[in-house]
Amino acid sequence: MAPVEIRDLTKRFGTVEAVKSLSFEVQAGRVTGFLGPNGAGKSTTLRALLGLVRPSSGAATFDGRSYEQLDRPSSHVGAVLEDAAFHPGRTGRNHLRVLAVTGGHPERRVDEVLSAVDLRQGADRPAKSYSMGMRQRLGIAAALLGDPQVLILDEPTNGLDPPGIAWMRGLVREQAARGRAVLISSHLLAEVAQSVDDVVIIAGGQLRARGPLDQVLGGDEGACTEVRAREADRLTSALQARGHRIERDGEMLLVLGVAPEQVGEIASEERLTLWHLAARARSLEAAFFELTAQRA
Amino acid sequence: MSALLRAELLKLRTTRTFVALAAVTLGLSLTVLVLRALLQADFSEDDVRSLFYFDFSGLFIALLGIMGMAGEWRHKTITSTILAAPDRLRLLTAKTLSYAVAGAVLSLVVTVTMMVVASVILSARDEATLPLADLADPLWRNLLVAALLGAFGVGIGGVVRDQVAAIVGVMLLTLVVEPTLSIVGAQEVARFGPLNGAPGGIIDPSGSDGDLLAPGVAVLVMLGWIGLAFGATAATLRRRDLV
Repeated sequence: MAPVEIRDLTKRFGTVEAVKSLSFEVQAGRVTGFLGPNGAGKSTTLRALLGLVRPSSGAATFDGRSYEQLDRPSSHVGAVLEDAAFHPGRTGRNHLRVLAVTGGHPERRVDEVLSAVDLRQGADRPAKSYSMGMRQRLGIAAALLGDPQVLILDEPTNGLDPPGIAWMRGLVREQAARGRAVLISSHLLAEVAQSVDDVVIIAGGQLRARGPLDQVLGGDEGACTEVRAREADRLTSALQARGHRIERDGEMLLVLGVAPEQVGEIASEERLTLWHLAARARSLEAAFFELTAQRA
Repeated sequence: MSALLRAELLKLRTTRTFVALAAVTLGLSLTVLVLRALLQADFSEDDVRSLFYFDFSGLFIALLGIMGMAGEWRHKTITSTILAAPDRLRLLTAKTLSYAVAGAVLSLVVTVTMMVVASVILSARDEATLPLADLADPLWRNLLVAALLGAFGVGIGGVVRDQVAAIVGVMLLTLVVEPTLSIVGAQEVARFGPLNGAPGGIIDPSGSDGDLLAPGVAVLVMLGWIGLAFGATAATLRRRDLV
């Protein structure tokens, strides 16, 4: 059973179908990027997962249980939503104290998470005086309060400066390294590409691609290898004889659905000299535009 | 439930609004009491007793209850609140109880302070004060009214959700609608009102010659108002999508 599972999720608001039969899983120990253009249904999906929005059909569960069915949910799931809000007159520390009492967490966790997000200095100021970055750190501190097994972060780098973004990248990698499942929604594709293991791409409320990042970047064919050889025609024949599809890009051969190691071995068997051998991947941005444009 | 209740009480204590409104409640209650205690010529036993009923805790805790519930939408904290406590009915119950407790505590502080101040002034004027045993009567009545109005305020805040509209509405009901009904002779209706009528019935042991409900009936009427507001809030809160 996956730590996070979205199964055939559909959500309609009146006549508008915001999410249509969406299914994907988030695995423990991996960071999953949840991508899609504005209005794709990302926020609705996350809110359905967190019990804030009632699905029209389908299910969104944590280890097979809905968010509402979790015993002490903040010990299981930590979430930072895009519009995380705080009472303007309450200090950051008191905001966390309230959540600690609600979730049954010891008070010492408040200081621990404030240290973890480097917010101890501003902790006793009212939230209305916080910068965007400080508010984001406070939201993350709240999510970490229960030391949860699942982290859900909606646009977590909004308002963070470059060191803050690097810190966030380290945080999500560290959480995954500790075996936590991390689902991160972001519009910063370059940032996501550096942080995630898997991606889920949706558009128009529907799934467009899911899987390990390398696989999704490789397109429908999966991995793709670019190779340049002294005897390109012989190499082409050798690869085609083994059932591989080849495309030409100038002097470069593109071998579809095959990893560089496999191409290298074939070239070695045929005693062919290679001048260039590398995996070719689309950028995440290119993949994103391609996947979200099709069938739109 | 006890964790939720403690969390709601902590929320209440960790904003300046509560401290400010508690100070205003105490200040206003004492001002009216001191003016009456100093300016009135003679005091019958009923006059002395009535001095202790000018506790404004009920009105202000109702306003705080509105702010506590409607403020969740105003400050958009309802999402994080429900994430922390996904059982919405339990959350609403805890909030309602917490404002009832806060109302009773506020009224305890205000009424006891009023009793001390009034006793000092009356003693200085060589007027009779109430024996200690008789002070328990206004005390429990004030506490009960404040507790009920705190709970009612949460329900109103949940039904209206717009904090300003809810506060303006309650002030109009308290200062205009219910008094107007009494003035135009619709006392039969006015005595069932949730902000003056029924609370008045609980506070005034004499029943003011039938103008007010008997205390027991008034408590039941207040519980009815609270149940109505609570039920309406629960119905919308449970099915509402938080987008």
